[in-house]
Amino acid sequence: MLSYLLFFITVASILSIATLGLNLQWGISGQFNAGVVGFVAIGGYTLAVLSMPATERLLVQWNLPFAVALAASLVTSAAAALLVGLATLRLRSDYLAIATFGVGSAIQLLANNLEPLTGGSRGLVGIPRPFEALGAVGFAWAYAAIVLTLLALCYAALQALLHSPWGRVQRAMREDESVCAALGKNVVRLRLSSFVLGSVLMGLSGALYAGFVGTTSPSEFMPILTFQIWAMLIVGGSGSNRGAIAGTFVVWGLWTLSGAFIGLLLPPRWQAQAGALQSILVGLVLVLTLLLRPQGLLGARRAA
Amino acid sequence: MPILRRLAVPAAASLLVLASGQAAAQQDCPKLGGVLALTGAQGAIGKVIADAGKLAVDQVNKAGGVKGCQVEFVVRDDTSQPSVGLDAARFLVDVQKVHAIVGLVGSGTALQVVNSVSVPNKIPTVACCAVTPALTKLAEEGKTGGYFFRTIPVARSTALVHATTAIDKGYKKPVIMYINNDFGNGVAPDTKRAIEKLGGGVAGMVPYAENQPSYRSDVQKALAMNPDALILIGLSQDGTAVLRDWFALGGTQNVILHNTMRSPDVLKNVGEKFLEKAVGIDNAPASGPSADAFSRDFQAAYNRPAVGPGLQTMYDAAAVTLLAMQAAPKLDGPSIRDALRAVQDPQGEVVGTGVDGLKKGLDALKAGKKIRYVGATGPFTFDKNGDVIGPMLVWKVQGGNIVTERTFTTEEMQAIEKKVGL
Repeated sequence: MLSYLLFFITVASILSIATLGLNLQWGISGQFNAGVVGFVAIGGYTLAVLSMPATERLLVQWNLPFAVALAASLVTSAAAALLVGLATLRLRSDYLAIATFGVGSAIQLLANNLEPLTGGSRGLVGIPRPFEALGAVGFAWAYAAIVLTLLALCYAALQALLHSPWGRVQRAMREDESVCAALGKNVVRLRLSSFVLGSVLMGLSGALYAGFVGTTSPSEFMPILTFQIWAMLIVGGSGSNRGAIAGTFVVWGLWTLSGAFIGLLLPPRWQAQAGALQSILVGLVLVLTLLLRPQGLLGARRAA
Repeated sequence: MPILRRLAVPAAASLLVLASGQAAAQQDCPKLGGVLALTGAQGAIGKVIADAGKLAVDQVNKAGGVKGCQVEFVVRDDTSQPSVGLDAARFLVDVQKVHAIVGLVGSGTALQVVNSVSVPNKIPTVACCAVTPALTKLAEEGKTGGYFFRTIPVARSTALVHATTAIDKGYKKPVIMYINNDFGNGVAPDTKRAIEKLGGGVAGMVPYAENQPSYRSDVQKALAMNPDALILIGLSQDGTAVLRDWFALGGTQNVILHNTMRSPDVLKNVGEKFLEKAVGIDNAPASGPSADAFSRDFQAAYNRPAVGPGLQTMYDAAAVTLLAMQAAPKLDGPSIRDALRAVQDPQGEVVGTGVDGLKKGLDALKAGKKIRYVGATGPFTFDKNGDVIGPMLVWKVQGGNIVTERTFTTEEMQAIEKKVGL
């Protein structure tokens, strides 16, 4: 039981970091990123590629330590976000959403095809995990500690940013970009900075997950992940960092644990339908949240 | 906040109930976990696969159960998403204390579950459907600890038959054209290696991209290598297009096709007169009393024919695992892992599927006898990597019809595998 709880907290915390990134982009800065999964993938693949032990099949054989590869994954996701941000500078709302969705899918396809770099469709297996010498239990505790520390750091930094002048301008820009520009704010730079920072958090999340499970493959980075992160943010309350984290734990818990409960409650004859019921339940909670509490569990002041 | 509290209390309460329920139910009775894609992209095939697994468990229970207990089979949905599948596997192992896991449809899920649950927690895992070669490689590197098995023949089987056929036909310099995806990359390099191990050679390898309107440039590249035959590893649509360009540009009629092109539509669209010397490969359907009994029982239990991917392999995954649990001296990972091989003893008493077959197996094991399980997929044996090799066939086109030219039994396939030693 304890080992499962630890596992659940680790995964939910890793996902929370991505949700925090989306909250920065959407909840605070008002940029609709529908390609979350692309930046998660870049982070995950950077860590995997740089830390994989040398094999003849792979182009990059650096076998870097975990911490270095983790730092590098922040750099690559920042670089990718800067490129995407510059390319989509003139796009707003739904146009930005479509463009970023395309970018997310393109990154997944690149991972699927750049075989010498990413292992192609087979993915990369056997990414060295830190603290593996501590055994299964020690690894679980140590990794959970790292993830929770990083989550706390990200949260603290984002809270500080949110209440800084920079955060205030971001929120003002979310409400009315023209007014901001008229007041002499550099809208382009502001948009880019929050987009890049948010994407770096998504990259960090992807890198932490890859380091945790020790494998990565293109099938992990389907658009469903983007949808899940969005659902977590909406349920938790867009605009609130605490809400982003709470929403992640609630939605991920619902997504995974509902299956277990349905399995326990249903008579054996109906077990084969458990999967369908699970989907219905998840959808129901999302719809109910939107109907009864549109601002989310811990929503910010702004009404949708 | 109030919503959070309202959610949190029942959630915590039910978690406690769950935990205590687990503690109470946890004697030394075997528990089998299933991780399957019941919804999502692979949901359409996953549900029926789960039924096939359940049939095996029900029949074992009707045959008296394992170690004096009725086996509990807990199936969890991975929603076709690897991270959800990993969570399900962790929950099965950590909270519900299953002794083994069967299922695994998607390769991404299989990778995560094997790497993060089966190996560190020593949980024998028998996949019904995931064919990814990455797991064979992991096993070769000794990183699975021998805890990973699968009942579905891997792509390697098809590579062996491609190679054997090329050698048998006397092709000296075939060119291998293959689709550049997981499937093509899983078969083509092994085909080349197998041909070389069997003493032949290839003119070259030409990968091509999916969904192209024309493959002229790829075909020209292949023809420039001066091949005396073509081995084509593609899907039916792109395969048809490649063949049309191949014959249009004057390529030889000595072609060996993959099972994806074993269809009348392909023959018609390419033109039968070009395919008079063509042969193809395919998995041979298992035949014999075990396979028939499974088909009959499945039809009776679910009122639908046992047709579709993964049904036979899932039944065998569940059945062989339960037999292994009975054979294992203790219900722990290493014992069950070793027993999975022991219930396939070539010298053992042959036992089949269905309540009768499984009862015969369970009784023999209880009496301390050795058994050889022959499943819905026919006789099979796990190799050193936990993979299986299945029976195959070679087909050809005769008078506009697809007919079987020769078949390879499981034993012949094993002999070829040994000779090639991939």
